[in-house]
Amino acid sequence: MANTTFLQQQTRRHFFQQCGIGVGSIALADLMAASMQGSGAETAGNPLAPKPTHFPARAKRVIFMFMAGGPSQLDLFDHKPMLNQLNGQPIPQSYLEGKRFAFMDSSHRINLLGSRRSFQQYGQNGAWVSDLLPHTAKIVDELTFIRTCKTDLFNHAPAKLFMNTGTGQFGRPSMGAWLTYGLGSECEDLPGFVVLQSGPRGPRGGSVLWGSGMLPTTYQGVPLRNQGEPILNLTTPDSISNAQQVQVLDAVRKLNAKRLAETGDEEIATRINAYEMAYRMQSSAPELMDTNQESQETLDLYGIKDPKETSFARNCLLARRLVERGVRFVQLYHTNWDHHGGPTENLEEHLPSISREIDQSGAALVMDLKQRGLLEDTIVIWGGEFGRTPMGEVRESTGRNHHIDAFTMWFAGGGFKPGTIFGETDEFGFGPVDHSVHVRDIHATLLHQLGLNHERLTIRSQGLDFRLTGVQPAKIINEVLA
Amino acid sequence: MFGMTYTSLISWLLLGTVVFAADSLEYNRDVRPILAENCFACHGFDKAKREAGLRLDTMEGAVEKLDSGQVAIQPGKPEESELILRILATDDSVMPPHETGKSLTEGQKDVLRKWVSQGAQYDKHWAFIAPQKTAIPESNLAKANSTTNPIDSFVLAKLEAENLLPSAPADPITLIRRLNLDLIGLPPSVSEVDDFVLAFQHDPESARSQLVDRLLRSPNYGERWGRWWLDQARYADSNGYSVDAPRQIWKYRDWVIDALNRDLPFDQFTIEQLAGDLLPGATESQQVATGFHRNTQINQEGGIDPEQFRIDSVFDRVATTGTVWLGLTIGCAQCHDHKFDPIEQKEYYRLFAFFNNQDEPQLTIHKPEVNAPRLISEQKELEATSADIVRQATDAIALWEQSLTEEQTKSFSKEIQQLLSGDKSKRNAGQMKSLYAVGPGVTNEQFLTIQNRLKEIGSLLAEGVSTMVMKERATPRKTSVFIQGDFTRPADEVTCGTPAILPPLATGTGNLNRLDLAKWIVAPNNPLTARVIVNRVWQHYFGRGLVESENDFGLQGTSPTHPELLDWLAVHFVEQGWSLKELHRLIVHSKTYQQQSVERAELTEKDRGNYWLARQRRLRLEGEIVRDVELAACGLLSSKIGGPPVFPPIPDGVMSQGQVKREWKVSKGEDRYRRGLYTFVYRATPPPSLNVFDAPDGYSTCTRRPRSNTPLQALTLMNDASFFEFAGALEKIIQTEGLDFAFRRCVSRPPTQEELEILRSLDSLSAARALLNLDETVTRE
Repeated sequence: MANTTFLQQQTRRHFFQQCGIGVGSIALADLMAASMQGSGAETAGNPLAPKPTHFPARAKRVIFMFMAGGPSQLDLFDHKPMLNQLNGQPIPQSYLEGKRFAFMDSSHRINLLGSRRSFQQYGQNGAWVSDLLPHTAKIVDELTFIRTCKTDLFNHAPAKLFMNTGTGQFGRPSMGAWLTYGLGSECEDLPGFVVLQSGPRGPRGGSVLWGSGMLPTTYQGVPLRNQGEPILNLTTPDSISNAQQVQVLDAVRKLNAKRLAETGDEEIATRINAYEMAYRMQSSAPELMDTNQESQETLDLYGIKDPKETSFARNCLLARRLVERGVRFVQLYHTNWDHHGGPTENLEEHLPSISREIDQSGAALVMDLKQRGLLEDTIVIWGGEFGRTPMGEVRESTGRNHHIDAFTMWFAGGGFKPGTIFGETDEFGFGPVDHSVHVRDIHATLLHQLGLNHERLTIRSQGLDFRLTGVQPAKIINEVLA
Repeated sequence: MFGMTYTSLISWLLLGTVVFAADSLEYNRDVRPILAENCFACHGFDKAKREAGLRLDTMEGAVEKLDSGQVAIQPGKPEESELILRILATDDSVMPPHETGKSLTEGQKDVLRKWVSQGAQYDKHWAFIAPQKTAIPESNLAKANSTTNPIDSFVLAKLEAENLLPSAPADPITLIRRLNLDLIGLPPSVSEVDDFVLAFQHDPESARSQLVDRLLRSPNYGERWGRWWLDQARYADSNGYSVDAPRQIWKYRDWVIDALNRDLPFDQFTIEQLAGDLLPGATESQQVATGFHRNTQINQEGGIDPEQFRIDSVFDRVATTGTVWLGLTIGCAQCHDHKFDPIEQKEYYRLFAFFNNQDEPQLTIHKPEVNAPRLISEQKELEATSADIVRQATDAIALWEQSLTEEQTKSFSKEIQQLLSGDKSKRNAGQMKSLYAVGPGVTNEQFLTIQNRLKEIGSLLAEGVSTMVMKERATPRKTSVFIQGDFTRPADEVTCGTPAILPPLATGTGNLNRLDLAKWIVAPNNPLTARVIVNRVWQHYFGRGLVESENDFGLQGTSPTHPELLDWLAVHFVEQGWSLKELHRLIVHSKTYQQQSVERAELTEKDRGNYWLARQRRLRLEGEIVRDVELAACGLLSSKIGGPPVFPPIPDGVMSQGQVKREWKVSKGEDRYRRGLYTFVYRATPPPSLNVFDAPDGYSTCTRRPRSNTPLQALTLMNDASFFEFAGALEKIIQTEGLDFAFRRCVSRPPTQEELEILRSLDSLSAARALLNLDETVTRE
């Protein structure tokens, strides 16, 4: 660490004293960078420097627990006794007109499927939670449920893109990229946008889900990997000692600084900063991943059995450690929620097991944040790219198809109104009877809580001002905000 | 001349608006950007979104009496023009409305007021008017610099008007490194530098010409500029979406490299890629070229509707064609009339129709010496003869079979034994042949010769490489407008056609197809194509196009900084037979290109963004070239050109990031050290060391790469196993040839004493690592 400080001091001193470009021009660069926010110009200086919000913010950071594959809201949160009563009967035709579904040709089923789960009401507002999520059930008074979430796309990869970028098209910035672009990062030692993954496979769509689109790549999510080094190339090559590494960095800095003085090119200043951050990450990232400092009590709270093994539970703990360190946006992907029925993805066996994987640790994360005073300004989100149909897919075992008209997500902290249940679905849970909440409304609301006006957070590309919420009107869901 | 303040200059340049104190206003330069930015979204081309029935993008619309009885613009009478009253309003009636978040500056209001009082003259958008060569401007600066290159004349005239001076020419070492990196993407060797410096001292003019000629003849030119084109073609080696299975289409990549190396005229280059299959007597090469539009993704996810994703790929083809050749955001009209450019939704689907009529097959390519059709017919003949022989030998086979001892039977393969013990009446021709081959056939010379030849033919044909191509269908598909771009909601049927704002397509006989479209795109009267391409080449040399919005020449795009130069270059390009090499030659021989790139204090103040080109600009190299330069510096670079993509080492765990874990078997031998453009690219899990330096992932066309500058790049160059391996090789060079020599291999120039001292304080491996991590090593200066 002493070396780090040395490097920082040397670099800064060098900038201002030896490099022949005065404080004035650096300040001008910063000024330009700040005034360019949202106008799409290339920024000079540190593009991740904290930036002012459009108005006072209720939240500073976000943890998004992304349940990849589309969890069945009808077996977890949205209790529909009518489904059980009419189990096996076709859903009235009026529900289906004009609708399209995935797997249309092979397994499009119209018969209703009752839930095998038992439901109970919890908390002061009587939130329904099924027997699959006993830990979540205990904290419903901290949560804000929206049961009428709506998306536009019903295949996995496009729908995941839609939830993350507000469009099913490739090449647009993801939510985390927008936030680090709009707000900068409050962490000097780690990237501002971090992605963690658990489950049997990566999420469909891959890196575009945390891409920066037309924003500079500085803003793209950095996936911390679940095996080996958490960040690619974080470790100094085996045969190189720390002293050698520092010597190389020191020489590179000196030589780069000379070139900066000769050319006056501020990109070199950015590069010198980037090397400093890289070196800091070499120690801060392993420190982040080292959960040995956590008490047994904490590990038990999250249900972490082996702290070395990748699991959703461990990622929840890492998420807390990341936001503690000022990381702006943490996204946790957990696969696989795609329960169509069949031998490997059914509601009988696989939904209960994946629910167990996320229940205790997800609830623990909320409570741990609260205990540490972090929940106040951290938004926690739970949800997938879409929900599942009231109609069953009966293969060898039962499942449900992808459904986009009404599904459940929950939010906690960051100025969301705790203990709220918002949006009601019809008797089958097929569509909303009130307050349909579109993905872009969720985006607008999140940005609002973070102090950003979704219509002002823009990037100019191809002559258009792009924004997370797109061109269709989006509304802030004031009813769920405290 | 313009009397602009610094602030207004910057705001014009960066925000697309301008404040002119001058009396005479130009619609395209001064007024349109303000209207486009603030008004057209609700009062523009899109009928469906037009508010209050008002259209401000045409004079007819603007002077029409509205339902309210008011008139937006009364030419010459700002005080009676509702437009002016509303932009000056201080209450809720103000335009643009508060809720749009937009507002006009005082300067902008002033421009609009003046424009209306001067008669509200509208002009057609500059990019839709065919370019024309204007007279080459004269200036004192041009005279003083004895300019001969028209590029310099245009640039210097502008500099003079801006009261700026150009920078001094770059020294010969910087120049050769710049030319090398720009033209072939590889640094010059130390001896090439020495030779050039010597020749330059003797005769700079001829040294430069000879160098440029040599580089343009180098086969590496096609690799370097091939990647430029492959970005636009959204080339990658996998199918994309979630499953992202590997695909084989590298023959198309090699076609691009080869076409650029032989300087295939750009109009022909275009026609072959868009419609090579439709050319009369289309050659194999022309069919391979149609791979351009096969670089769309293919969704192999379960449960999808294949038609939806076929349509998506057609959407992509329309959008890509519009962006790459026309510099238009045609894709915006997929769901509605274009909000800013005069393109109706119906016109979009007329373009769509061109791309809605092909099958998407594979083509197998054989080595030039392999005449596949002849071999296939020979194969057929031989198989027929062989079958005849077997048929005539039915009795002989039966006799042979009867004569077999048990021991003999056991000596045959399992398959033969099964045949022998099976039902004799159910044997097919193939099985009879198998029996004959081990039985009576062993002594039939003719039969044996035939079998050997068949084997030979089989293996020759199997060596063929498949690649993805386009093939026009005999019966066209119907095309309809899709409401909101939703393919489940077809509306009016449409036929092939081009937007009315552009010159009409030359109609031949019969139905229009892609070939007609391709010819229309490169027709001499198309105002866009040549400008767009010239601009995109320019962008490569200066870090920014003359039109900054290189993918949008429409009404929302930025105006050209040097409109006359852009037009001159576009016309010249076509006059020179669309030769890209001649265009490169012209640009790199200009003094504008050859200037120093160092910042100058007075320029930082007057033209921070270097829009007026009073200097060159340092540009960080593209991801592939970062790899190439480091490989070249450490001496490991393979000089092999083309062929299947390769698998250099990548960090563990990268390939498990996507939905399906893909194998990455590290290439052996020289394939480990190939240029970056040959690395296999999975769209969903792109190679990290390229990706981190902003290489595109091939999901959609990329007409300009961002140049980010991040800690992850630092970690890659410092710690990545490949770059560390390169450092090991450079260490050996330091040990054998000295630090000074190694330094020059990285940045071409010799080190200063001070620099040498810094490096000498390190052990040789550390010095090598430091050299490969220098900003200068990965930058073109």
